[in-house]
Amino acid sequence: MKRFNSQTLILIGATLFVLYLAGVPLVMLLYGSIRSAPIGEPGATYTIQNYIKAYFDKEFYLLLLNSVYYALGTCTLTFLIGTFLAWVSERTNTPLKKLFVVMSLIPFIIPGILSTISWILLLSPKIGLINLAVKEILRLESAPFNIYSMWGMIWAESIHLYPLVFLLMSAAFRNMDTSLEEASLSAGSSMLNTFWRITLPLMRPAMFSVLLINFVRGIEAFEVPALIGVPAKISVFTTKIFLAIHQFPSDFGLAGAYAVTLLAISTIGVLIYGKITRKEERFATVTGKGYRPRVIDLGAWKYATLGVSFLIFFLAVILPVFVLLWSSFIPYYGVPSRELMSKMTLANFQYILNYPLAMTAFKNSFYLSVGSATLVMLLTSMIAWITVKTKLPGRALLDNMTFIPIAMPGIVLGVSLIWVYLTLPIPIYGTIWVLLLAYITKFMPYGIRAASASMIQINKELEEASLTAGGTWFQTFRKVILPLLMPGFTAGWIYISIIALRELSTSILLYSYNSTVLSIMAFDLWEGGQYTYVCALGVLMVLLLLVMAFTARKLGAKVGIAE
Amino acid sequence: MADKRDMVQIESLEKYFGEDKERVHVLKGVTLAIPEGSLYTFLGPSGCGKTTTLRCVAGLERPDGGKISIAGQTVFAFGERVYVPTNKRPIGMVFQSYAIWPHMTVAENVAYPLTIQRRPKDEIRRKVGDVLKVVGLDGLEDRPAPKLSGGQQQRVAFARALVNEPKVMLLDEPLSNLDARLRVQMRSEIKALQRRTSITTIFVTHDQAEALAISDQIAVMHGGKLIEVGSPHQLYTRPKRKFTATFLGLTNLIEGKVLEVDGDSRPAKMETKKGVLSFMPSTTLKKDQAAVISIRPENIPLHKEKPQNLGNVLEGTVKEAVFMGDAYQCKVAVGDDVLAVHTHPFNAVNPGDKVYLYLEPGSCNGLPADDTEGVDESMMGD
Repeated sequence: MKRFNSQTLILIGATLFVLYLAGVPLVMLLYGSIRSAPIGEPGATYTIQNYIKAYFDKEFYLLLLNSVYYALGTCTLTFLIGTFLAWVSERTNTPLKKLFVVMSLIPFIIPGILSTISWILLLSPKIGLINLAVKEILRLESAPFNIYSMWGMIWAESIHLYPLVFLLMSAAFRNMDTSLEEASLSAGSSMLNTFWRITLPLMRPAMFSVLLINFVRGIEAFEVPALIGVPAKISVFTTKIFLAIHQFPSDFGLAGAYAVTLLAISTIGVLIYGKITRKEERFATVTGKGYRPRVIDLGAWKYATLGVSFLIFFLAVILPVFVLLWSSFIPYYGVPSRELMSKMTLANFQYILNYPLAMTAFKNSFYLSVGSATLVMLLTSMIAWITVKTKLPGRALLDNMTFIPIAMPGIVLGVSLIWVYLTLPIPIYGTIWVLLLAYITKFMPYGIRAASASMIQINKELEEASLTAGGTWFQTFRKVILPLLMPGFTAGWIYISIIALRELSTSILLYSYNSTVLSIMAFDLWEGGQYTYVCALGVLMVLLLLVMAFTARKLGAKVGIAE
Repeated sequence: MADKRDMVQIESLEKYFGEDKERVHVLKGVTLAIPEGSLYTFLGPSGCGKTTTLRCVAGLERPDGGKISIAGQTVFAFGERVYVPTNKRPIGMVFQSYAIWPHMTVAENVAYPLTIQRRPKDEIRRKVGDVLKVVGLDGLEDRPAPKLSGGQQQRVAFARALVNEPKVMLLDEPLSNLDARLRVQMRSEIKALQRRTSITTIFVTHDQAEALAISDQIAVMHGGKLIEVGSPHQLYTRPKRKFTATFLGLTNLIEGKVLEVDGDSRPAKMETKKGVLSFMPSTTLKKDQAAVISIRPENIPLHKEKPQNLGNVLEGTVKEAVFMGDAYQCKVAVGDDVLAVHTHPFNAVNPGDKVYLYLEPGSCNGLPADDTEGVDESMMGD
């Protein structure tokens, strides 16, 4: 029948494309992990040798233990920091809490590799500013802190990842119908009792899901384990896979076996997460109404909560940004002193801008970031329309497929794509196109989340009104749906362009000389020991990110609803 | 039953919602015809299928059986696989939420049906100006849509539905989001607007007072079926179905068995627990058929003393008498049953009074007791 022609076409097209993006790498990864020889080599046979080699290695269990320890530590610490800040900003009368959101968003803008570097520059036993300063003040023999340890790694990761917890928990606090609490209070229950019997059970699904998502993020983290874990000889899955491929000769089979294991762990996490959040939706504490949260008067304690919050922001934002800025202006790395201050220079920036690869890296990163964000948001907007607004059969499957990559750690995706493009006769291996496809795949889940969330907000009648007014499907999509979707579209676009610009773990397995990106360049400079140059590059990256986010905001507001 | 002057014809419409086990049969063979230029109301409780029927006419739902035609053109026919998409149907629709696009101004909203057809700019400006004048919103062209009040939003929705001069206007509970006073005002405005433009209009509501006040014809729906069609007066005074009698206004039902009957419009007699009562059959009834008498509370004169020389008198005791200003609303116990009776305010009654109720045979509508059957052709509006 006629009506669904364009819709069915879009559904089929989107499904095939998503299947190609998400399904093919998965299949190729599994296939690669059971092949005896690297791709392309003749005479390869099916084997389970890779898995035997992986699992019968004593080191494997150390690896597993390390990874889980690291991920658990990270999710616990981020949860404590993020939830505390969320509670303070949403439910207490702590002064200046409006600043919290801004302060919590800044670490988002700082790429993970830069934040890791800043913490090495702060807490390294030899050159760490904090160590040197404390040693000086307390006249200690040795450095009090050592970033090159498991707790150092957990700290560096958590102080970077907590903003997500802050945002998710803030939303959970904000969306909770406070009349549920008020009902308990009016039923004669005390504040504390209400907290235990009402607030906590209502928040439980949100808390579990936040913990889980951070566990998964911890287990697939790459920057901190690569920059701190490798020199400290603390191996986790991601670095092990990276090293298996970066050694000579590369052991693709072993990397594949490890990658499958890592994938299995994160998939389990994501599946449980999905189950919890679905249940959470059934809890329906979120009704879309704007509740006025009940604010707790902390009395004099509000200065204590303010103090702790600012200590966190000082550690998470001010110190890292300061150390990056400081190091980018000095000729050699050292503690701030009058002498060094007099030597401040722009030479690092000049070096970076004249660095032969810099222009290529800037261009590549920019194109990849803007390109992947735009394509992902367009693709996922259409998918979201299908899954949210139509009753086409197969839409649930499409929705699930779009989510598959969320369970794929970046490094695993990298390994998979090596297999795909070394095997399939599509000559894009080593070009910027393979990175673009990788980014689209990786960021699709974020895009679909942003797009579906705002698609659900759009009353179906707004769209039907256009149809009854004589609009075709495409006119309706362009003139009604897309503009109404614009706030979500922009938010998703900004988020994706930011994480695309700092992407390292997938790119590092797929780049070549001509498709270098900024994060790779930073990684290489760091490995080469050129600390001050890295910092200058980092400052430029952050500036680029700020400009992009700002421009997107402006443009989005122009097209969408003026608020 | 096809008539040239019927603007919309719906035949044996079937619709299911959900898949597999959760499949629900929401429209069960709805057949009706909407005369050109009339204001036609689908009335029924929520879940009766009235909105679904409307959405099928709009093409927003695809029926699972049956046929729909608008202005003589078949827009849907299940058997022949005909389906004209919504945007190709000559309709204008006002939604329950008004569906005013928040990213456009008043003028942009109203002009939309014309701009997507790429009509000339001055034609658009003229038509938008005209239609805004009709709904009383001239001067508000450049106001952003979110800055409108509920009543204004609704006028914009009407203007947008009218601007392209549709053959049929579809109104999906357009008054349900307004407060009570505005609702009454908009009700008469809609009626006046419809009179002025004489566009065939389908109005969906669950509010029986609204339906009575506004409609030329009402189609009463229940459980996915069409129960009865008629003018408001017909349906209120002479309902042919028990559901209509109880859904439209308040009524008393007295169950019994037909004793004597002589055609449709001649007095008949029924055997009830309260004795033999005379009544008027509202529809064809057979001897010995289980039936009910439906009589409105305001049609039962209440006497303090037993009226002489009158049949159809029941003796009872007042249980409750609530003074409402324009009437006493009484509950009168007659045997095991309680009848609702509204009396003139000057006729004071008190609980405990012994009273006599005169069930005037002409007001006693005799209906079939069994109301599970669908409507048959003979009951359709004439």
